[in-house]
Amino acid sequence: MLSQIFDATLETLYMLLLSGFLATFLGIPLGVGLYLCSRSRGLKGLYALLDLLVNIFRSIPFIILVLLLIPVTKRVMGTIIGPNAAIFNLTIAAIPFMARLSENSFNGVPSGIIDSSNSMGLNRWQMVTRVLIPETLPDQIGNVTVLLINLVTYTAIAGAVGAGGLGQLAINYGYYRFQWDVVLYAVIVLVAISQLLQFTGGKLAKRLRK
Amino acid sequence: MILRVEKLNLSFEDKSGKRKILDDVSLSVEEGEIVGIVGLSGAGKTSLLRTLNLLQPVDSGSIFFDGLDIVGLKESEVRNVRKKIGVVFQSFNLYRYRTLYQNIAFPLKIQGVSKKEVEERVMNIATELGLEHRLRAYPSQLSGGEQQRAAIARALVMDPKMILLDEPTSALDPKTTCRLLDLVVSLNEKHGITFVVVTHDMDVIKRTCDRVAYLQNGKLDFFGPTHEFFVKIENNEVSDFGKPLELEKGLLSANKKILRVLFWGTRTHEPVLWKIAKENDVMINILYGKIEEFKNGPFGTLIIGVEGEKQDLFVEKLRESVFFLEEVC
Repeated sequence: MLSQIFDATLETLYMLLLSGFLATFLGIPLGVGLYLCSRSRGLKGLYALLDLLVNIFRSIPFIILVLLLIPVTKRVMGTIIGPNAAIFNLTIAAIPFMARLSENSFNGVPSGIIDSSNSMGLNRWQMVTRVLIPETLPDQIGNVTVLLINLVTYTAIAGAVGAGGLGQLAINYGYYRFQWDVVLYAVIVLVAISQLLQFTGGKLAKRLRK
Repeated sequence: MILRVEKLNLSFEDKSGKRKILDDVSLSVEEGEIVGIVGLSGAGKTSLLRTLNLLQPVDSGSIFFDGLDIVGLKESEVRNVRKKIGVVFQSFNLYRYRTLYQNIAFPLKIQGVSKKEVEERVMNIATELGLEHRLRAYPSQLSGGEQQRAAIARALVMDPKMILLDEPTSALDPKTTCRLLDLVVSLNEKHGITFVVVTHDMDVIKRTCDRVAYLQNGKLDFFGPTHEFFVKIENNEVSDFGKPLELEKGLLSANKKILRVLFWGTRTHEPVLWKIAKENDVMINILYGKIEEFKNGPFGTLIIGVEGEKQDLFVEKLRESVFFLEEVC
């Protein structure tokens, strides 16, 4: 049983880190897009559309989203079960979440810093890469921490519909076969992963905040 | 002429309708000059400053910078103009997660200046501004005065033709204010940098400005030399900056004739009053007097009582020799 838990933990970590990585590097650009659209007079319409899409995706419960995505998942990943299919679902669910979190952080950059950057003649690309991202870096680390901890829960839910990992282990062995100790171990590992993420993320953000 | 603003209009729209912020404002700034923009809060001074590098787009009017009308330029061209105008904001706006060195180097780095040249220019400016020992500190570790100088250094590093200062002394204590004003004047004299300063601090105007633009409800009420602005204050034509000295009733009745005399320039240091009093054989009683050092010369205010047979002649003679004379009673 120990080796099963170990394998399931690795599977969970694999799903967690890969979907977290993809969601971060696709969600932050979307967040930048949201931020820039909301501040540009000509792009208010596009902002309204993106804003609506983000809201819709964020308000669909994850388990429903997985079901709705089945045809897409099958097309894109070739299968609807296993960790890789789950990563697709997790990433789709996490991108709008990350986009919204990062947009909020960008909105928190003092308007004076934006003003003085504009006064130096920065173009839009420099504004994003040299000002918006560096100025929100500690916040973004915090955002990624929140995202990953959310994904821990999501991977467990995904486990219930065939993704593998600790979630599936807990359901199959614990819930269906009444092996409550397996559920307990799975929960302990999940809590430990969350705690570790929170601790590391918090430390890192604190170190970056001057 | 480095800057010429013509018939600038700006209005903001809010729920209560259109609000006029700038109303047909025209002014000009010569190269190497320091011009102050003064007025009460809400008079439109900061808005005017923000229009000068088009951080704030205008409704109508022209802004000629170095001969080029920058209103209506393409965004990429506006960016190039902005690189020639340094701006130091009221809240300094340093990058929070960059060291002082990185902050000052920032404008150069985004323009792709070589690392060696960046280092040289940052070190030169940091030394000139007395910041060389703080280069590794983060903005949150700097004092208000240091942050202010850091913001000035960051503006200077681009070698700008003109620097815009927004309320530069509002966050500083009196001693730091004093140092800052000396710095502005010395940068102006040594490097010939033109400054436009928004302020409501009379000390800033007296000690740094060649000319003053006085805004009232978005309209330019006065634009001229600093000493003339203070004559307006003394004459009660501008009431936003405190009232001129009120004389006691007792004083007024004890003296036959009371004069308010303003001196400006080199004559301030000459014994003009004594000479003319002696020639006309009148007695004078000094009721109040002060001399202030303005950027372009000393400015003296004197209130005197006069008694004697030839007192009218004395007044005539004195009027010819001083900058301004007014009979109080």
